[in-house]
Amino acid sequence: MKAASSPLCNPQDHQWSRRKMLGSLAAGAGGLAGLLHPAVAETLAKREKQVLFIWLDGGISQFESWDPKPGTRFGGPFRSIPTSVPGTHFCELMPRTARLAHLLSVVRNITTKDNAHSSGVPRILRGDPANRGVKYPYFGSAVAKLMGAGVSGLPPYVWIKPGNGGFLSENAGFLGAKYGAIAFGDGRPPENFTLPEGLATAEDEARQLLRERFTKSYAAGRRAGATEAQTTVYDMARQLMKRQELFDTSRVSERDLDRYGRSEIGQHMLVGRNMLEAGVRFVQVTSYGWDTHGDHFNGSASLIPKFDAAFASIVEDLRDRGLLDNVLVVSMSEFGRTPRINGHIGRDHYPEAWSLAMAGAGIARGRIIGGTDAEGVFVDAPQAYDIGSLFHTWYAALGIDSEKVEFMNGDQPLPIAHQEMAPIKEALA
Amino acid sequence: MRITHQPPFLSRGPKGWLPAILLIGGVLAASLGFSEDRVASRIDALIEDHWAGNQASPPAGDAEFFRRIHLDLSGIIPTVEETRAFLGDSSSDKRDRVVSQLLDGPRYPQRMAEWFHVHFMERLGDDAAWEGWLRESFAQNKPWDRMAREILRADLRDEANHGAAYFYAKRLENYGQNAIDYSGLTRDVGRLFLGMDLQCAECHNHKLIDDYLQADFQGLMAAFQNLVPVKDKGYPAVEERLMTTKMRYASVFTQKEKFTGPRLPGLEEIEVPELPKDQQYLVAPDKKTKTPGVPRFSPLQEFAARIPEAPGFDANLVNRVWFWLMGRGLVEPLDQFHSGNPPSHPELLNLLATEFAAHGRDFRWLVGELTRTRTYQRSSRLPEGAREQDCPPELYLTALERRLSAEQLLWSTLRATGHQEGDVAVENQKAPPAEVGAKELPGLRERFRKALANDPRQPELEFAPSLKGALFMMNDPELLKLLDTGDGAVVTRLAALPDDVRVAEELCLSFWSRLPEKAELENLTACLRASSGAGERQRMVRDLAWGMMTSPEFVANH
Repeated sequence: MKAASSPLCNPQDHQWSRRKMLGSLAAGAGGLAGLLHPAVAETLAKREKQVLFIWLDGGISQFESWDPKPGTRFGGPFRSIPTSVPGTHFCELMPRTARLAHLLSVVRNITTKDNAHSSGVPRILRGDPANRGVKYPYFGSAVAKLMGAGVSGLPPYVWIKPGNGGFLSENAGFLGAKYGAIAFGDGRPPENFTLPEGLATAEDEARQLLRERFTKSYAAGRRAGATEAQTTVYDMARQLMKRQELFDTSRVSERDLDRYGRSEIGQHMLVGRNMLEAGVRFVQVTSYGWDTHGDHFNGSASLIPKFDAAFASIVEDLRDRGLLDNVLVVSMSEFGRTPRINGHIGRDHYPEAWSLAMAGAGIARGRIIGGTDAEGVFVDAPQAYDIGSLFHTWYAALGIDSEKVEFMNGDQPLPIAHQEMAPIKEALA
Repeated sequence: MRITHQPPFLSRGPKGWLPAILLIGGVLAASLGFSEDRVASRIDALIEDHWAGNQASPPAGDAEFFRRIHLDLSGIIPTVEETRAFLGDSSSDKRDRVVSQLLDGPRYPQRMAEWFHVHFMERLGDDAAWEGWLRESFAQNKPWDRMAREILRADLRDEANHGAAYFYAKRLENYGQNAIDYSGLTRDVGRLFLGMDLQCAECHNHKLIDDYLQADFQGLMAAFQNLVPVKDKGYPAVEERLMTTKMRYASVFTQKEKFTGPRLPGLEEIEVPELPKDQQYLVAPDKKTKTPGVPRFSPLQEFAARIPEAPGFDANLVNRVWFWLMGRGLVEPLDQFHSGNPPSHPELLNLLATEFAAHGRDFRWLVGELTRTRTYQRSSRLPEGAREQDCPPELYLTALERRLSAEQLLWSTLRATGHQEGDVAVENQKAPPAEVGAKELPGLRERFRKALANDPRQPELEFAPSLKGALFMMNDPELLKLLDTGDGAVVTRLAALPDDVRVAEELCLSFWSRLPEKAELENLTACLRASSGAGERQRMVRDLAWGMMTSPEFVANH
């Protein structure tokens, strides 16, 4: 744009406004990363705790993964294999994860309440606190609220999932829409994420400059709130748009594509890795199709190796990049699957006794917690853990004191995790 | 108060100065189009009583007022011609007249329907019959108690008011394995009709609010727990099942069993009559023809008859209208009416509730009074030299910025960018604007809603721009097309004008409904001068228009 003579359209002015913005942002939080050298920004981000939450929707079978019972009545056809933790076995469908068991905490004594998907999923993801008649936030929204977006300038709660994307404010419950998830359907960016056809980046800069100037002149003499809110969302949108490469798996090496697997969950985990590296606070990666009521064993033989490749690869990469101390990794479902094998050679929903795995920030390494009886029917441990205990555990791993820290719903103080439960101490580093 | 009264009044008064001050105030008020006995003046007096020496913002300028009143009463910014005419009008009663015109104007019913829909349905869904019923109700200026009765009664046999059942019907939908959310419906009736959020009193008396009892929640729910949605009617409908006994409930703390018939909070419990089996129905249900039954004893009918007497019925409504027009409720949050949360201005709330009831619960009257106040017509700029903290919002020293709904933004964007299709539809009063006019309009309305409305159950109360909204304004091709595509598109039209001053003025009038200030005009014309050649000029006008459209001056009601 040739507009050097205009006081409004002066490119010098743009420079000035950039510097001004840098100054004002240094004082507050957010938006900094885009103004720093990427390497510096990432160093800053690395100091902050992050979460990778892997959700296997429909219910992964504990028998075919973390808690195999080969050769028993309900054990199914698969064998178990030794892991890198002496004496501990996983199902043979997870050979790569088995070699990383010394980095994980596996909890085998989970007992939860709900065996329906539509109510069970939100119940688990909200931490199933005592019913106070309010809708609790999903774990991702809770972390977004309690820990903020950090310095990346990117939204705090990002969800990579098959199917549709969008802005999922429901997840935030009483915390309010701004703590909802931004979901990248099929790992793709949200709607309107790229400049409209025919508008060059330089032209965008020109119009944004005008927007900023008009916003500023509106703000003069008025309350700051409206202008600040408006400016914040535009800054975040532009920040995100500058990071198109976060969604671009075509730049990933062939080797990584092979390691993560050329499957949906593998590709999505790679997008998740990009997000974590860019400093997103909470990354959820969801995989669907785990509800194997029929033909369960062929289903497992297809699904679990895909999970194994994606999960093992991300844990290896986080370890190799020195991020495992900062990123809390959780992999779980809304429930496990029944010991009983039904008439369709399937396993049904089973909240009575199931397993999950954790790793990374604040989590003990090589720990196998609890267990089930010989046939995997009931928890065989001094204690069974409900989802509330896990929320306490995760908060503790992230350095949040779940006994003291509370949410405020208007004037109503609310505990961040189930009041009558406590962290799983053995799982904490 | 008339000027002719001046000499005797002054000479008679023992304390001459006081009536004199009152008189001057009265004369000033009269010159602004107020008369002493108007409720509007009493509202201002009660607001200004609380100022105690705080400095207030000056009255809004004509352009500021004109834009605000159009957005509020017509749901759209004024046209360039309307703004020019208003700014050029030197008569002293022009604000008063514009309020009257807009209240009687063709867009008022549509605007009120949109306001009510967003406010009472909270983006749960859309329904043509419901929206039609709302438009018709506001076109007729139905009293609030009648509208409330029609909603709460939801009578299948009342064909003229079928749409009203959507309030229940939508809330009775259930998804997947989830049960029908009767608690949610109960909560919404308490919140939206009585200003009481009883949700924490479902399972026990409210732990923090002494006034909210479990019996209140359960008494309300008793009327709703035997409603079921009727599907496949082609309009929203609910069926009331037979209620033959009181409803049982227990506190989770005491586990003591209790029983209640239907009861509105603060009123007597309604007896559940014991009717012989053959007299239970006015119309017996017929399973073969799937005809729903009509019970002789209808808790909904009882509620509908009693709702105007329920404590808080009028106060809740006036508080919500006050919130809409002033940006802050006299009771905040809007659904927390109880003795532990007194209104910021108790006398004012009382005055509004009482006068609203005395005026037949007339929406036009209420909206007319509120918008004729000095309080409504104050500038949104802080007083000269004042800091934000000098002007606490609850004192109404400065007009508060308010959110524009997706619908207000859609209509205003169409008008600002030179697309008048929506106008034609509304003015013909034939059908809602989404159904006629430009082929693209329905799709455009969906895009605006998707990007700018809240998700279901997230009340749209504050100006809260979102990331998806910003991405929409920046990048949505359909939205951006409005700027320079089609007949009369603002950018194409203005870029062809040779006179830079004219272009700058038209841009400001189109998007901000005001003329540019001197320095602005210089900046804008400098930009235009600097762009040479037709293509570059077009781009410059487009960028200016986009910058104006994305500034808070366009996207907020200020």
